[in-house]
Amino acid sequence: MRKRLLLIFFLPLLAGSFAAFADTRISGKVLDNFEKPVKGASVYLDNTIDGATTDSLGEFSFATEEKGNQTIVATLAAYELTGQPLVITGDVTGIVLHMRKSQHDLESVTITAGSFASSDRTKTVLNPIDVVTTAGSNGDVVKAMQMLPGTQQTGTDNGLLIRGGDVSEAAIIVDGTIVQSAFVSGPPGLSTRSRFSPFQFKGVSFSSGGYSSRYGQALSGVLDLNSNDMPDKSNVNLGASIAGIYASGTKKWKKCSFDAGGNYTNLAPLLAVSSTSNGYKFYKVPVGGGGNARFVWEPNKNGILKATFSATYSKSGINIPNPALGSVDTTGNVNTTDEQIKYITEDNYYFGTISYKQSFKNKYTLYTAGSFSYDKLNNVYDIIALKQEEYRNQGRIELKRNFTTRLNLMVGAELQNFGTKKQFGRTQQYDETQLAAFTELEWTPIYWLALRPGIRYEYSTFLNVDKVAPRFSAAIKTGNHSQASLAGGIFYQNANTNYYLSGFKPGMQSAIHYIANWQWSKSDRTLRVEGYYKNYQDLVRENGYGYNPNRFRPVIVASSVDNTGYGYAQGLELFWRDKKSFKNTDYWVSYSYIDTKRLYENFNFEATPTFVAQHNLSVVGKHFIDKWHANISATYSFSSGYPYFDPAKTSGSDFLSGRTPTFNNTAITAAWLHSFGKWFTVFYVSVDNVLNTHNVFGYRYKDGQRQPIAPGFYRTIFFGANFSLSQFSKDEL
Amino acid sequence: MKTLIVMGAMALSVLGANAQDFKAPLAKTWVAFDTLPMMGSGDARQQQANKLVLIAKKWDKEWITHFYVALSKTMMSYEEKDVTKHDAVLDDAEKELQDAVSLLGKNNDETYVLAAMIANSRLGVDPMNRWQKYGKIFTDDLQAAKEINPNNPRMYYLKAVSTFFTPAAFGGGKKNALPYFEKADGLFAAEKGDDVTKPYWGKRANTYFYAE
Repeated sequence: MRKRLLLIFFLPLLAGSFAAFADTRISGKVLDNFEKPVKGASVYLDNTIDGATTDSLGEFSFATEEKGNQTIVATLAAYELTGQPLVITGDVTGIVLHMRKSQHDLESVTITAGSFASSDRTKTVLNPIDVVTTAGSNGDVVKAMQMLPGTQQTGTDNGLLIRGGDVSEAAIIVDGTIVQSAFVSGPPGLSTRSRFSPFQFKGVSFSSGGYSSRYGQALSGVLDLNSNDMPDKSNVNLGASIAGIYASGTKKWKKCSFDAGGNYTNLAPLLAVSSTSNGYKFYKVPVGGGGNARFVWEPNKNGILKATFSATYSKSGINIPNPALGSVDTTGNVNTTDEQIKYITEDNYYFGTISYKQSFKNKYTLYTAGSFSYDKLNNVYDIIALKQEEYRNQGRIELKRNFTTRLNLMVGAELQNFGTKKQFGRTQQYDETQLAAFTELEWTPIYWLALRPGIRYEYSTFLNVDKVAPRFSAAIKTGNHSQASLAGGIFYQNANTNYYLSGFKPGMQSAIHYIANWQWSKSDRTLRVEGYYKNYQDLVRENGYGYNPNRFRPVIVASSVDNTGYGYAQGLELFWRDKKSFKNTDYWVSYSYIDTKRLYENFNFEATPTFVAQHNLSVVGKHFIDKWHANISATYSFSSGYPYFDPAKTSGSDFLSGRTPTFNNTAITAAWLHSFGKWFTVFYVSVDNVLNTHNVFGYRYKDGQRQPIAPGFYRTIFFGANFSLSQFSKDEL
Repeated sequence: MKTLIVMGAMALSVLGANAQDFKAPLAKTWVAFDTLPMMGSGDARQQQANKLVLIAKKWDKEWITHFYVALSKTMMSYEEKDVTKHDAVLDDAEKELQDAVSLLGKNNDETYVLAAMIANSRLGVDPMNRWQKYGKIFTDDLQAAKEINPNNPRMYYLKAVSTFFTPAAFGGGKKNALPYFEKADGLFAAEKGDDVTKPYWGKRANTYFYAE
């Protein structure tokens, strides 16, 4: 009896292990939503190892020992798991399983209207390496943006001219904080480079409008730069170029790193081989130097602290064409008669940032950042001392909550104090403190739709004015490789500093952006078409006096300044980039058409400003020669003529109606990479304006005679080498 | 009574087999996967990789079953040139690796090496844009593995292959990779590779590249 009981107890167990002898076959096929066969899917009975992989017809067939109620399941990367119940009594044939592409793994739609962003998971449009290998950029991030749609050439200005806006309307942001005096100081009318090296940044995101509520005080757009994280390894870097020498080093420990560097610049050799345009002549060659330090600390896996500090000094003396030539002076101390004036620049610049980012279990992300910029100029304009101090101190905090991978909410606040002290004959001062709070929701309810509403509140203590600026952007997929995006919002900005320095107190200016774009992107080919309309309101106006073409003129104290100006800009832009059609070759074509007019500053009539050309074209090509480890690049840029002021044409539609000849520039760059033992070396040479074209940005009139307004340089030749030594891998063995 | 003992013994052996027998199918499937040519045998490898997934589903509590799923997916990912699909495969691999690590309770040298390999594969599909982020993860994970076990040959093998495919101008190339292959080769020779619960992949590929 006992034996029998035991037998009953053990029998099922034994039966289970012997059942293997009775095989049945399961077969069928797997199809996707469009009834197309799915190849390579794993089909199996749940909780068993009996299964098979589908062939190119989507068919599968396998044997199993299982009986009764089972579940048959199909899985494949980038598809959602699918399954259905199955009762096995004998062979089962003709099963049809349908699989859907999973939302998570599909290339989700991303908002692209108004912005050129780069990140590791989206298709990059422009990254730091692109910047240095683009001919004509001269290794300057800001200059490289002029090869993208929506921007104008800046031959005689510093900054970004975006969609009809002047240089003061674009902000340059590093790690979330605005940089004051982002450009090397120079005399009026001479375009200088930005103070940053592209290698400092891991990401460059350029917005030509409709940007996020995280930022404000820029009517046109922002250039958002994100600094590098922890370096890979310790290294030593040495460089020499025709403009100077530099050295830097990085020491990396386990959880932190420290970098330090120094440089000395002397433009004498560069000036000797370059062609300066008529009228610009250095009598004191620009000389300067600087130092920088950077500390990075990763206290834990999801936290990173970065702190940087840099200081630079430069000095130069130059004869420049008198920007006030032929104009009417009301202050009594501006030279309006001499063709040429002397200009001495002496610049001390300090810039420091600190930022800390921490994520908590992928649920929350905290970001805090602070920075200061301080720029002290000790210049001489003609014979008058021009002393100026510019400063900006700011802090920002942002908290982001990730509810799901497809929904997150960010809230943040920002505090800035900035201002200018200027001594030019009289002493002038302007100090402003601004507070802002902002929030933004990012929501991808379904993979083909993304929405990003945001709102920003800004308060100016100087003006005692507050503004609420809503922002919105969205994207929708229009096909497997294409999508359409929209972006828009209201943007506010204080008036140009000059007005506040002169004792006027105009209120904030505003712009409303409407942007729509369509983008097609497939395996390293991208096509973008973007159209926009921008409405400017409350622009600053000086009333009571005639137009003075001198952009560096002092504001006439007796004029009345208000916010009665207005304007618009509309345009269409095309961008095509192809990294695939030709091996080792990357090229892009950027074309912008713009129609813009405004009545602002000292304009007497609504007109297209002098810095806007209606048609802009850039063609950039790069090729890497494997065999020689060499990279060559060429860029051609074209702009239709610029409006200029003719004193004989001052009224109505005649105002600023003249157009200069077209702008043409061809630039080439070549780089050769080579390892000398442990030293990784790059030799480079770049020639800007190869054909030595004498481009004209306008004219200066005196007594009926006109002089072209030229850029400071025509053809420039730049070459140098960089040597880097990384940590010595032998000890790893 | 004798019958009882026989019965009991049989029952125990069945029970024991059920707990143990993941090793046999795992070893068999893994070897089948690993001995197929790395490139060009996509379908056949996919079948074996799918089988590994089933094994991990059935023996859900064994870290090593998840480890092999992650490893096979990572190896397969090198063949996928479409960035989105490539990342989708590696996302799956990462999940399985996390499962393996949480079953282990902490990372060991093999899981770090595999994490480095995943980063390396992510980098490989778009090196120009990804080297900065994934190059660092690769280096960090290998360093972490080295601190646990400096004699893990796969660590040197990965470093070697990554160097091998880096252009010579950036300090890569055959010549610079050679010392790593040598080092890995020596360490591979010291491994028995007879226990499936101790991962022993990579030797074949190392020998192949070493010959190059």
